[in-house]
Amino acid sequence: MTGRPDLGRADLVAMLAELTAKPAAEVPERIGSMELAWLVHLVEQRYERPLDLTDDQLARIRTVDDALAVFRTSLTVAADG
Amino acid sequence: MDRSTGNPLVTDPEWVDEVLLAGPADAVCLRLPAPVGRAALRRLVAEAQAGLVDAGLRPGGAAALRLPPSLAYVVHLLATWRLGAQAILLDHRLTDHEVDRALRRLTPQVVVAPVRTSGGALRVFVDVTAGVTGYADRPAGSGHAVIQLSSGSTGPSKVIGRTAADLVAEVHRYTRIDGVALPGERIVLLPSMVHVLGLVGGLLYALHAGVELVPPERLSGDAVLAAVAAADTPATVLGVPFHIGLLASTRPGRPLPQFKRMTTGGELVPAAVARAFTDRFGVPLGNMYGMTEVGVIGTDLYGRHRPAIAPAPGMAVRAVDGELWVSCPASPYVGLSDPTRWSDGWLRTRDAGTVNPDTGLVTIRGRLDSQVSVGGMKVDLTEVETSVAELPGVAAAVVVWDDGITAYVQPDGPLSEETLDKLLAERLAGYKRPRVLRLLDQLPRTTTGKLVRSRDALRSAATS
Repeated sequence: MTGRPDLGRADLVAMLAELTAKPAAEVPERIGSMELAWLVHLVEQRYERPLDLTDDQLARIRTVDDALAVFRTSLTVAADG
Repeated sequence: MDRSTGNPLVTDPEWVDEVLLAGPADAVCLRLPAPVGRAALRRLVAEAQAGLVDAGLRPGGAAALRLPPSLAYVVHLLATWRLGAQAILLDHRLTDHEVDRALRRLTPQVVVAPVRTSGGALRVFVDVTAGVTGYADRPAGSGHAVIQLSSGSTGPSKVIGRTAADLVAEVHRYTRIDGVALPGERIVLLPSMVHVLGLVGGLLYALHAGVELVPPERLSGDAVLAAVAAADTPATVLGVPFHIGLLASTRPGRPLPQFKRMTTGGELVPAAVARAFTDRFGVPLGNMYGMTEVGVIGTDLYGRHRPAIAPAPGMAVRAVDGELWVSCPASPYVGLSDPTRWSDGWLRTRDAGTVNPDTGLVTIRGRLDSQVSVGGMKVDLTEVETSVAELPGVAAAVVVWDDGITAYVQPDGPLSEETLDKLLAERLAGYKRPRVLRLLDQLPRTTTGKLVRSRDALRSAATS
């Protein structure tokens, strides 16, 4: 992923902790639309490129793990392409 | 006023052309990002009007708009009003179940909904082809120009009506507030136009004042800053506190001399967040206080009075027994409602607050509905709820008064009632502790993600 370390679950949890002002250990697994917009925004900031996500991909994201899988795919595709 | 029902009468629809659609034909109203000029908007509104009539909408009837933020929403809203009909605004995130219930209650003549939606993910404005279908053959339940449903996070949903005269008065109120976007400037619009801040403070004010509405391409900090940078004219970003975080965490790629101000409504912004924002962008962070029932009540658009606000021109605010009351000439509620909420020209906000007798500045200190009495001791349920929500293993909690303090808890992993009770006993005085604990896999939430606080809904979720 172009010079940046791979995106990990802990990164997303830390981003959510920043949004909710909760300790990382207390960040819930389930995420809603606002948390999702926040994660997309911060991941884009970190990798300095837009994530090219479809409505279907976004609609399938219910948890931190779902988000991680979709973001990783998008970043890999972008790096390959 | 209809003396038999107390309902307002339908307003002559000329106000739409006079207050909202007047202006030079080539003046740009919206940039999506293609510019939509006034002449184009008037033509689209006229076309939408014909479609509404074909489907059965008549003056004095109602159209339910179930559309996401889009040009289709704007033109159908204006077309409905231009016909002398009432617009019922349904948030597009409502479920079919919630919409069906609203339609049965409000019996519009037509329903406007998308037949096709396109656009990328996280879009703020979407490309919608709207379809209009007939629903009922009855006049509107009242002469209000717009009907909105309360969010439902603080109790059963209320039906709130506002007359055309009231909307026009609010638009004029905005023109007298120092710090709003000026004619020829731009508003980068983030809040939904179904709710009062985006509807009146964004759409209607911009149309009236000749301010361009510029939704960002999508909901991200970069896209908001790109919208600001897209033209040389001054730009005000209108949003809610969440959007401040988005911007405060974005590195602008270039100087933005046209960025004039960010203004947010909704809950109060913590001082540290406000500082982070102003440090990064060097522009004022304004705050607004308002309600669906009356629109904007007060503002602090220069961030000088934080956390207080100054009443908007023409709005009177007073504190009665620690509760803020606002001037409101007629009851905004349609159908059954709590009769104590409005009387004699005053609306009780249910917000605790104070009014400084010397400066008139208003400070809001949170909701009043959450205080209860337990054996003569005052207990704020918010305090109990916060304590429960902060416990390890708790993802979310709602605490209500249901013949005793009752906590509904969504665990974040394995958690027994016994453990929860033990943890609480370490943190809360006995009289504050919930007498009933209910563990639920998922707490009920509104479509906007807010926790539902209705006792009936919670009880039913706990037993299903």
